[in-house]
Amino acid sequence: MSARGLTWHPGGKRVLGPLDLEVHAGECLALVGPNGAGKTTLLRLLAGLIEPTAGTLAFAGEPYRRFSRRAFAARVAYVPQIRPARVPLSVRELVLHGRYPHLAGPAAAPREADFEAVARALATTAIEHLADRPLDELSGGERQAAYIAAALAQETPVLVLDEPTTFLDAGHQREVCGLLTRLHGEAGQTVVLASHDLNFASAVADRVAALVCGTLAADGPPAEILTPERLAGLFGAPFEVVHGGARPVTLLRLAP
Amino acid sequence: MRAHPQSRRPARKRPGLVLAALGLGWLVALAAATLLGSQSLDLGAALTGDGKAATILWQLRLPRALLALLVGGVLASSGLAFQSLFRNALAEPYTLGVAGGAALGAVLALAAEVPGGLLGVGIAAFLGALAATAIVVGLSFSRQGTEISTLLLAGVAVSVSTTALILFVQYFSDPNRTFQIVRWMMGGLAVVGYREVLWLLPWALGLALLLGAHRWELNLLLTGEETAAARGVDLSRLRLVVLGGVSLAVGALVAVAGPIGFVGLIVPHAVRSLVGHDQRHLLPGCLLAGGIFLALSDLGARTVASPTELPVGILTAAAGGPFFLWLLFTRRRG
Repeated sequence: MSARGLTWHPGGKRVLGPLDLEVHAGECLALVGPNGAGKTTLLRLLAGLIEPTAGTLAFAGEPYRRFSRRAFAARVAYVPQIRPARVPLSVRELVLHGRYPHLAGPAAAPREADFEAVARALATTAIEHLADRPLDELSGGERQAAYIAAALAQETPVLVLDEPTTFLDAGHQREVCGLLTRLHGEAGQTVVLASHDLNFASAVADRVAALVCGTLAADGPPAEILTPERLAGLFGAPFEVVHGGARPVTLLRLAP
Repeated sequence: MRAHPQSRRPARKRPGLVLAALGLGWLVALAAATLLGSQSLDLGAALTGDGKAATILWQLRLPRALLALLVGGVLASSGLAFQSLFRNALAEPYTLGVAGGAALGAVLALAAEVPGGLLGVGIAAFLGALAATAIVVGLSFSRQGTEISTLLLAGVAVSVSTTALILFVQYFSDPNRTFQIVRWMMGGLAVVGYREVLWLLPWALGLALLLGAHRWELNLLLTGEETAAARGVDLSRLRLVVLGGVSLAVGALVAVAGPIGFVGLIVPHAVRSLVGHDQRHLLPGCLLAGGIFLALSDLGARTVASPTELPVGILTAAAGGPFFLWLLFTRRRG
């Protein structure tokens, strides 16, 4: 995916851009930045959910507007952060909905291949045992896994996730991290995500882009971007960075 | 992901069985509405002869029963479409002012004695429905999606305005015409012959086909507008198609039966509790159950105060008002 002069100024309000961004096939890009920096807006633009007020977006060299909504959904899947409180579906039904862009027509019935894709998505996210449970009865972590499974059932080359670990406990955060690392590392899935959790971004991404006030402030490998100086500049807060393993671990000093 | 300690399966609904029962109920309602009435019918004479009994059966009761089944089905499926599109149990053509707009269009056509009979009134009702839909939906659109509270408030505002305008037209019409408008506004299915049935049939079929063709999209909306769009639903197109289709069908319906309230509110809710949330079962369920509800309501309207006949709209509104309050009350508590 590539963005040139990408701008989102609805009603003249400067929310995002203009900015240029390339997402290469097979990479995992994490967007970080303070609240209101435009991370979600950038993700929604990349996922084709809103149209830029200026600039161009292209997927594999083709401008976004050449794709129908359904054709685009077969290429880019999106897991939003905010979802309705009540969704009267079972996990299996939710995941089957992910097959919509692959149906023979908008009104066609799902086929064997669709049910197989659902089974694969449930297996990848390890939630087969939850398949027939109502979504509304699940814990936050299980629900997140179900929504990721639905996006995986879309079988798209690109997966876009907005704050995939928000509201999750440490165990579930690690599971999501492991899942994305596997998808990206073993299956070669292109992943773009936004996260407030810098350690999560550091652990899964091979590239980190920092957004400030709707523009790109920095873009590079986690070790280059997640430095105490840069983070202090981004968030106005003191950080320590530990380089124990291959990837930096950030520590926010909360006490004054 | 880790297993949840309690692994309970959801209660199984049997939509196939419910739909079969509704199909049977539809036939029973057709038979009951045709055979029963304020006047007892000699069935033998009606079937063999061509006297008064035959006229009552073939020219009055049967077309009326068929019209009730059709109108009820269209009302319920329109309500279902609005509730699914706006993800709100209180949305239906009447609460959103669409039926009010259709009624205003039809009343203007009646008062102005527009030529073309049913077609003239139908076109006026359709234009009224479309204008009301455009106003209500236009007001409640935002970049974040549809604001449901604004949608319902705009619906109330449009309904109140159309009622006021209808009263205004009535006030300045001659007494005969005023009586005709008042009687029509109460909603009714008193027809002679099959003209109205044949008029409504293509609209009803068209709406059913349209909603059937968009069942996946309407199902996908259960997960929210953002997720549905991310799965490939073109929301603007879906809104345009469904709102246009419902406005057409409601316009056509109001032109023959007047405004009959609350069927579109009660029936989808009841059917949902029987068959679940899948449009594949909900749509046929609503078409059948809406018809049954209205045919039986009309039977009640014809017989409760016999020989006086009540307008069926009064009966459905009498049932619908308390139901609407109950829905609001349970939602507040939920």
